[in-house]
Amino acid sequence: MPRARNVPATRKRRKKVLKKARGYFGNKSRLFRYAKDAVDRGEAYAYAHRRKYRSEIRQLWIVRINAACRAEGLRYGEFIHGLTKINVDLNRKILSELAIHEPDAFKELVEKAKTALAA
Amino acid sequence: MKTTLAKKETVTHDWKIVDASGLILGRLAVQIANALRGRNKPTYTPHVDTGDYVVVINAEKVKLSGSKEEQKQYMFYSGYMGNEKYRTVADFRENRPEFIITNAVKGMLPRNKLSSGMLTRLRVFRGEEHEHEAQQPSPLLS
Repeated sequence: MPRARNVPATRKRRKKVLKKARGYFGNKSRLFRYAKDAVDRGEAYAYAHRRKYRSEIRQLWIVRINAACRAEGLRYGEFIHGLTKINVDLNRKILSELAIHEPDAFKELVEKAKTALAA
Repeated sequence: MKTTLAKKETVTHDWKIVDASGLILGRLAVQIANALRGRNKPTYTPHVDTGDYVVVINAEKVKLSGSKEEQKQYMFYSGYMGNEKYRTVADFRENRPEFIITNAVKGMLPRNKLSSGMLTRLRVFRGEEHEHEAQQPSPLLS
């Protein structure tokens, strides 16, 4: 009995991988054999870096808050400590956005933190 | 709401000035490097150059603690055998005081494609005079 191959299915499966490999360098975007490795690797990094992104973006918010509250004469740690004392539950993302778009509101928060620390 | 990221096209670079006389080199260089990187602004974005211009005057009057004036060495090497040269801070202070500050700040900038652009925004002068009166720089240290 002749060997049966399922060519349409194989072609479909390989095409799917090659489509994801568009724009890759050289063989990696043209030959299934090399594209598969590159796509697997790329997806693994994409998965890991989506998770890494959360901590990196939080670090960025903290850097921004620190810059904004140091201009008002308070360090980041002191500022957050003051806010927790008066039960302000704004997260770092909102605080950093306030510092950019609503500097007056942010200044008021810094003043409130200062009075909370002094008390 | 998405985190605001600065855009190259819309970023504005301010002008800052600092008088180096009597200040400790490393402590001053941190402040300068952070201003060049834009780390003192709430819009700081790592992949975009959001920093300010920094004018330094009285570069020759910057101080070093301890005996680094004589002991701190800068090494130069052309690549040829026997061409390893050492210069102390004292050697530079008279002839090229700008180098002392530029070198210290350069070492504190990130090693990436933005850093060379940041360094061009640092202008160091010996003496009180500088070329950037027209930009009306505001004080860097308050």
